[in-house]
Amino acid sequence: MEATYSTATGTDLRETLAAVADSDGVNGLLLLATPSVDVASDEFAATLAGLSVPAFGGVFPAVIHEGTAKESGLLAVGLPATPDVTVLPNASDPDADFADTLDPELPANGYETAFVFVDAYAEAVPTVIESLFRTYGVGMNFIGGGAGQLDDDRGPSVFTNDGVFADAAVIAAVEQPIEIGVQHGWETLDGPFRVTGSEGPTVTELDGSPAFSVYQEVIESQTETSVTRENFFEVAQSHPFGITRLDAEQIVRDPFAVEGDALTCFGSVPEGEFVNILTGDDESLIAAAAAAYESAVGDDTDGSLYAFDCISRSLYLDDDFDRELAAVDTGDRPVVGALTIGEIANDGSGHLDYYNKTAVIGAVRNE
Amino acid sequence: MSSRQERIQTLYEISLSIGPKETLEETAEEALSGYLQKLNCSVGGIYRRREDGSYEPTATVPAEPTASDLLSTAANSLNAIDTAGGIDEALPMTGATASDEHYYLFELPEFGVLVLGKRTGELDAVTRSALASLNEKLAEACNSKLVERQLRKEHNRFGAVFDAIPEPVANTVVEDGTERIVACNKPFKRTFGTPDRTPGEDLLGELTPTEAAVGDRRPTAGEGQNRYVTTETTCPTREGSGEFLFHSVPVETDHEAEYIQLYVDISDQKERERELERYERLVENLPIGVYQTTPGADGEFRLVNQGLVDILEADSKAFFDDHTVSDIYVDPAEREAFSDQLLAEGEVDSVELQLETAAGNPMWAEISGIASEERDETVFELALQDITARKERDQQLSVLNRVLRHNLRNAINVIEGNAALLDEEVEREDLQACVNGIEQRVKNLSQLSEKAVTVRSLFDQGREINTACDVRTLLETVADEFEDRHPEASFTVDDFEPMYVRADVRLKMALTELVSNAIVHNDQSTPTVTVTAGPSETGRAGEWVDIEITDNGPGIPPHERKTIESGDETPLQHGTGLGLWLVYWAISLLGGDITIDEAEAGTRITLTLPRVTVDAADEASGDDNDEMLVGDVGTELTEDE
Repeated sequence: MEATYSTATGTDLRETLAAVADSDGVNGLLLLATPSVDVASDEFAATLAGLSVPAFGGVFPAVIHEGTAKESGLLAVGLPATPDVTVLPNASDPDADFADTLDPELPANGYETAFVFVDAYAEAVPTVIESLFRTYGVGMNFIGGGAGQLDDDRGPSVFTNDGVFADAAVIAAVEQPIEIGVQHGWETLDGPFRVTGSEGPTVTELDGSPAFSVYQEVIESQTETSVTRENFFEVAQSHPFGITRLDAEQIVRDPFAVEGDALTCFGSVPEGEFVNILTGDDESLIAAAAAAYESAVGDDTDGSLYAFDCISRSLYLDDDFDRELAAVDTGDRPVVGALTIGEIANDGSGHLDYYNKTAVIGAVRNE
Repeated sequence: MSSRQERIQTLYEISLSIGPKETLEETAEEALSGYLQKLNCSVGGIYRRREDGSYEPTATVPAEPTASDLLSTAANSLNAIDTAGGIDEALPMTGATASDEHYYLFELPEFGVLVLGKRTGELDAVTRSALASLNEKLAEACNSKLVERQLRKEHNRFGAVFDAIPEPVANTVVEDGTERIVACNKPFKRTFGTPDRTPGEDLLGELTPTEAAVGDRRPTAGEGQNRYVTTETTCPTREGSGEFLFHSVPVETDHEAEYIQLYVDISDQKERERELERYERLVENLPIGVYQTTPGADGEFRLVNQGLVDILEADSKAFFDDHTVSDIYVDPAEREAFSDQLLAEGEVDSVELQLETAAGNPMWAEISGIASEERDETVFELALQDITARKERDQQLSVLNRVLRHNLRNAINVIEGNAALLDEEVEREDLQACVNGIEQRVKNLSQLSEKAVTVRSLFDQGREINTACDVRTLLETVADEFEDRHPEASFTVDDFEPMYVRADVRLKMALTELVSNAIVHNDQSTPTVTVTAGPSETGRAGEWVDIEITDNGPGIPPHERKTIESGDETPLQHGTGLGLWLVYWAISLLGGDITIDEAEAGTRITLTLPRVTVDAADEASGDDNDEMLVGDVGTELTEDE
């Protein structure tokens, strides 16, 4: 894995990226940018267009390089094989036929894994994910997450050589097999609660009562934390929702805003589903990250790693996040990745889902 | 092992994904997604069972089933299901691949099979069992979409037929006692526009009782009988109004009174029927017999008009049902000959036959007709005219002609001979004058007799004229002849452009008579006759020619002129001889007309005759005969002239 981290801008950045692209053995570029990179500029688009190999990527709150999370600069990862890059526009259109754009022959043509980056604020992210699963099933492993900036829900967030896109998804299939480990470490605090009112990512009612009131009552009755609308964002980092699956870890939905009695999450929470209110601690989360690492690496001794960890885990763990990074970056192999706004992964055995507050580790095989 | 609560939760959440969507495929995809997500399965499929027992995928994950070995293995196992004990006994079924991946086949009652596959882990038996009720719900949803799809196909097929019918068709329902249109095809809109109500509302009002409640159907003849309504009606259309054959067919529905209305435009047909009726009335009232028979020695009457009934003195048309055609022939052998001739020639014209009326009276008939094919058989379509009176007049004329030519001529010869003897012997002047008077009268009588014979010859040639006549040459010839016979008279043929008329020798006879009259009855010392010709001033100039004969005589006596112009002679209004009648008949038989005018000093008689073109005349004359009719010879015209 050829990874180059740069804080350069303008011409310097162009030259840096061109140099990585032109390196021996590099036939594609995975670009993980932080908000410090002005991806919306014409200059950046021109840089992408001028690269000698296919490039794809997104903007994330931070990138992971050499064991630390960096909130500025850009990480360029050289890929040994040419990726097959597809852009799905209109990711907020629930009626868009995303499957029609996807090439179902990719697995048959030797592509083993696909990086998936989608605008975290797009309203049809579940539809995009479902289209991927319906088209490919477990024929390919998927790894990636929600792109964008925490304080900007409208800006362009994904890009390829063809430009920078908002409200879109980028799928880049590569021939490298990547084993996936997915864990979050959150445990049920209380539940289940039936979602009796919701609209997309916004939950309005739980068990027939206002969602915020139910949430507030559970947290205040079972922890010593007082919940107000003002401190909701901080409290919610410790107590996300969990959507249950049979014989599988719950899918975490991260509530990040309250408006009236409605709680808005990253990712949809369909009406009728059952959700639990989860809780966790530093140790369980870090252990989960380590478990994800173990699940991905298995017996492999030298494959490099991709890590897509949720930005909210970083915010929750705060200084202890370094311990989580250390759990996945043991120093024996390169680790690159990003802190995402929601994670996309399957472990090759089950359903492809859009996660929150989850650690996704990908271990490259046959490198 | 899943907890009971988790299982119930999961099943409930899966059930949320099961339900009819827009299409069968969407219904299956949505449900399959729910199964896979909530049961954390890797692959899956919903397969529809065909009538032959094979399966076809309705929805699969991945979309291409062969892309997954697990799903392929599971799908292949579908064909290995042992259905000997019934599909219910065989399913659910589990299986595993060589790499220890598990798949599960579940029966979707009356629809097909649900396939689920897990790469890791297994579905426990309790969960598999608990899925049965969900699977039934899924099968029900898929079946409903399947039925809906089939209904949609039927609907589309019906719609295609609906639009393909070239006649106006409307689908109507009766609501609150009012029949309104819920759908109609394009011909309906073209014909009626977009009326609020069903065209022919008056008719529908008659068909639907006023006390009919909502949803009531129109009255029908009775249970088990035809419930269609078919009648003729007049409806307002975009063009005004039209006549339609209206069919109303009730649609079998449980709650509404619904109908399919078909309007067959019979406006043209009705107009043709009315026209035919007019023709029938016309034919019925014709004074000639019009009838249809079969061929053969006897022949059967098929159709007869009232004219034939009257002519043959029958009581009614029924008379012809009981008689063959040969029964009306005096000599039945003539019927066979007539039939043979008509069959051989295809048509006959003006065949004169002797028939016998129903009362047994002999009669003469002139029959024309054609042989035609009708319903794969040959029939004769004939027109019969009673010519008994004409035949009797012909007989009378023949006798009179014989008397004029033979008996009267012989008597005149005897009188002439005796008058000549007296002329030689009588010396007294007063007696000599008597003898001269006798000789002059006998001479006039002789000329009258000859002229009567000439008149007879005019009619022998009939009205058929196949010759053209060069007018200039003819007029010059007539003038030359009279200049020789009457040197005291002056003859002038004016200069005029060459022209030809359709005529034969009778034109020369008429001219000769007119010029002779102009000289003989002229009281001037020098009788003057001028003849000329030109495009007709009275008729269409290009198609008719006027030949004018102008003299300086005393003029034609008014009563004779009036007689000729009216073409009728009465005991009180008659001419003195046959001369002008000869001219009148000759020109009439040639298809022309005669006009008599007072000239400045005498009389001008104009003969108007049909013109033929120079080319036609040249063609008729042939290369070797540039001379046209001169004297008594005409040049034959071809048929198209």
